[in-house]
Amino acid sequence: MTPALFLQTAAQDEPIEMCSVRVGRTLYGIPVTSILEILGKPVKQPVPLAPGYIGGLVHYRGEVLTTVSLRSLLAMPAHDATEDILVFEGADGYFGLLVDEVGEVMTVLPTDFEGNPSTLDDRRKALFAGTYKLSNALLVMLDPERLDPVRLTDTAFA
Amino acid sequence: MERCLTELEARPENRELLAEIFRSVHTIKGTTGFLGFSRLESLAHAGENLLGLLRDGKLLANVDIISGLLALLDILREILGSIESKGQEGNGDDAAMIQRLHALQHDSSSSSADNSQPVPPIKKKRTRKSKTSTPAAIVSVPDAEIVKPQEKNKAIEVYQAEPQTAQMRAGVNMAESTLRVDVDLLNRMMNLVGELVLTRNQILQMVSTDANLTVLSRRLDMVTADLREAVMKARMQPVSHVFSKFPRMMRDLAQQLNKRVRLVMEGQETELDKSLLEAIKDPLTHSVRNAIDHGIEVPYLREAAGKGPEGILRLRAYQEGSHVVIEVSDDGGGMKVERIRDKALERKLITRERAAQLSDRELMQLIFLPGFSTAEAVTNVSGRGVGMDVVRTNVEKIGGKVEIDSRPGKGTTLRLRIPLTLAIVPALIVHSRGQSYALPQGALSELVHLSSEQVQTQIEWMEGVPLYRLRGKLLPLVFLGSLLKQQDQADKSPEAYIAVLNAEGRRYGLVVDSLADPEEIVVKPLSSVLKRIGLFSGATVLGNGEMALILDPGAIATQSNIGMALEDDESEVLDADLKDGSAEYLLTQSASEHVAVPLDNVLRIERIPRTQMEWLNGMPVLRFDGTLLPLKDRTGMVAAGSPEEEMTVVVCRDGERHVGVAVSQVLDVGAGKPLTEAGTDTATLDAILLKDRVTSIIDLRHIPALPSARPAHDDPRETLQSDAAVEVLA
Repeated sequence: MTPALFLQTAAQDEPIEMCSVRVGRTLYGIPVTSILEILGKPVKQPVPLAPGYIGGLVHYRGEVLTTVSLRSLLAMPAHDATEDILVFEGADGYFGLLVDEVGEVMTVLPTDFEGNPSTLDDRRKALFAGTYKLSNALLVMLDPERLDPVRLTDTAFA
Repeated sequence: MERCLTELEARPENRELLAEIFRSVHTIKGTTGFLGFSRLESLAHAGENLLGLLRDGKLLANVDIISGLLALLDILREILGSIESKGQEGNGDDAAMIQRLHALQHDSSSSSADNSQPVPPIKKKRTRKSKTSTPAAIVSVPDAEIVKPQEKNKAIEVYQAEPQTAQMRAGVNMAESTLRVDVDLLNRMMNLVGELVLTRNQILQMVSTDANLTVLSRRLDMVTADLREAVMKARMQPVSHVFSKFPRMMRDLAQQLNKRVRLVMEGQETELDKSLLEAIKDPLTHSVRNAIDHGIEVPYLREAAGKGPEGILRLRAYQEGSHVVIEVSDDGGGMKVERIRDKALERKLITRERAAQLSDRELMQLIFLPGFSTAEAVTNVSGRGVGMDVVRTNVEKIGGKVEIDSRPGKGTTLRLRIPLTLAIVPALIVHSRGQSYALPQGALSELVHLSSEQVQTQIEWMEGVPLYRLRGKLLPLVFLGSLLKQQDQADKSPEAYIAVLNAEGRRYGLVVDSLADPEEIVVKPLSSVLKRIGLFSGATVLGNGEMALILDPGAIATQSNIGMALEDDESEVLDADLKDGSAEYLLTQSASEHVAVPLDNVLRIERIPRTQMEWLNGMPVLRFDGTLLPLKDRTGMVAAGSPEEEMTVVVCRDGERHVGVAVSQVLDVGAGKPLTEAGTDTATLDAILLKDRVTSIIDLRHIPALPSARPAHDDPRETLQSDAAVEVLA
């Protein structure tokens, strides 16, 4: 379940910079190197008939950015307030990830990494890469590759 | 090189062309030898040998040699393609090809031996004489075609405009002043310009208060418009990029089908956006194939019909307003309407009753139905029934139109009407449940407004299927809100608009909540996940910064199972006219009376201040761009009423002349039924039943002609006079 990215970094034993984001009460981490840009609270255009995890369209640098809602992926109720968007490059161009709020950048050590617990439900197992143990909390790892809408469609995630 | 070869066939003695071909093959040979591609090298070498003989005049190019060289070209291209994709030549046996080229060379040596000296190309007559004396050499002589045209199955000559060739040669020298640019970069530039246009629109909306800023923003507006034009121009390519492959294709096809075809190409310098050029490549290829396969007859049939054995296929491109028109016309047998009908019945594309009602023009439209083909047998050229509907679908996908025009025995013309650019399209912004959607104007034919009361009464339901009576015909409706499965809003507007759409020959009404302004939108592609929904062709950012999805009228029709409507408005009238004498009328109100004008005669409706009206010999007239329009004023309302008021004038056509009818207001358009006088069969000429009300028709012929002063040489007056004469006779 551990992707190559983390194996490599783990082997090097160097600190990794993680951008922390919050959805609901959980803190999630995404490697800063994979993030292209962070958009603060843009206006979304909903897309009728789109798969449930699609959060809508956002205007991004002359392109139309398809966004994925982490909340709907995790089967959480929709967020009332406007959300922040992280922009990634996926297999089919750019895509955005809707999160409640983007937090600070943290530095974590590969030695603090652990894989997904076996008790986690399948939906979350498929999305999470594992977790980093922080001193006072857990930082759940997200792998942008698994959040790519193209891949989500292929795995019939809805 | 392909172009040179096919051209060479027409002018075998052109040394410059030969030299050009020789050079290309030589370059291939040199480069590949250097890079170690042995297959390419040996092939190019064999070709070079043959070309060397041709160039030195030891041999004259003929059909066999050209075929051989073209085949060589195909193999070379294939290998080059494999190198490009896989980095290696791939396996294949070239021995046969090399053998063939050698054989051709051999022929040459024998024939040149016969002629004992290199044939001077200009002295053609002598060459022919020597050939007739040595029958063995005839096969390899181009003039043999002329001697025995019937024996030669194929003969294609390409008449390419001379200046074109000259232009291309001049292009070599121009290389220093031009630059190769990556298409991706151009696309990106186009995107950014689109972005700039949107930002400009937003700025323009905001700065209207500050005077200084207004000046600046106006300048920004101008610069942006110019920039957009320049970038768009950079993306333009001449249609010759697509046309250039047709000579070869035609040659092979005609050869295969035992036909003789001459290709005439016009307007190759006409420019079109690169992406559009790509998009029309396939439809155009289909059309050309069709024209050669179905259009042009075999030589003996042509001769029997009194035409030359050689068919002419004309490819013509020209710009018409904001569209580029590409015509594919042949002088073949034309489309046989009966056969189209029989085939359509056989393939169960229409019912027998329906077929009997259709006019010739409508029957011709049947070829655009999916699964239609009149070819007797399925060949590898055509006959699989995936022809014309693909052409139409592809052309309409890029906002274009396909028209067909055919006369039996005379030929068929297919017209592809392509917008100049894809990136920016005019669209109508519609709202559904509070969200904006863009509807491309190309598919929109009219808009109908329904008040909250009319929504309840005028939309009729048949087993849960909504329908609307548009001028007496049932129009299937699609509710955008329910199609998109949008939640009903509490404050849903009770009103509705029906956008009557014509997509890929299917007619339906799209019901939306409200309309906004039309806007020029910049089309942005959707990601593959959203493309899969199938109803949207893209997205755009509107002037107010809001995002809108672009609706795809064709896809909506498909998803809603809208069938093919075979008639357009025009033939609807025609049809009705033929059946029971009813026709469509423009219903107007003149004072308190309802009067109607035949819709076919209506040119336009104008609102004019009363002061503009003048009198001539006691007759009301209007001046229009220096011409005089006689006015019909039934109820004297022109004279009444204050001069500041505006009046409505329906400008109509009566034969050649134009006349005006003054009315209080225009009410509606509807089909009128003729009335017969009680007890007789004579239909009254000046009254009809329109909207269940007896309405008088304005007889345009009764509007007096202008007092003609002297028979001048200018046409309008003459026609007016002759019209007057007709009136007297009547």
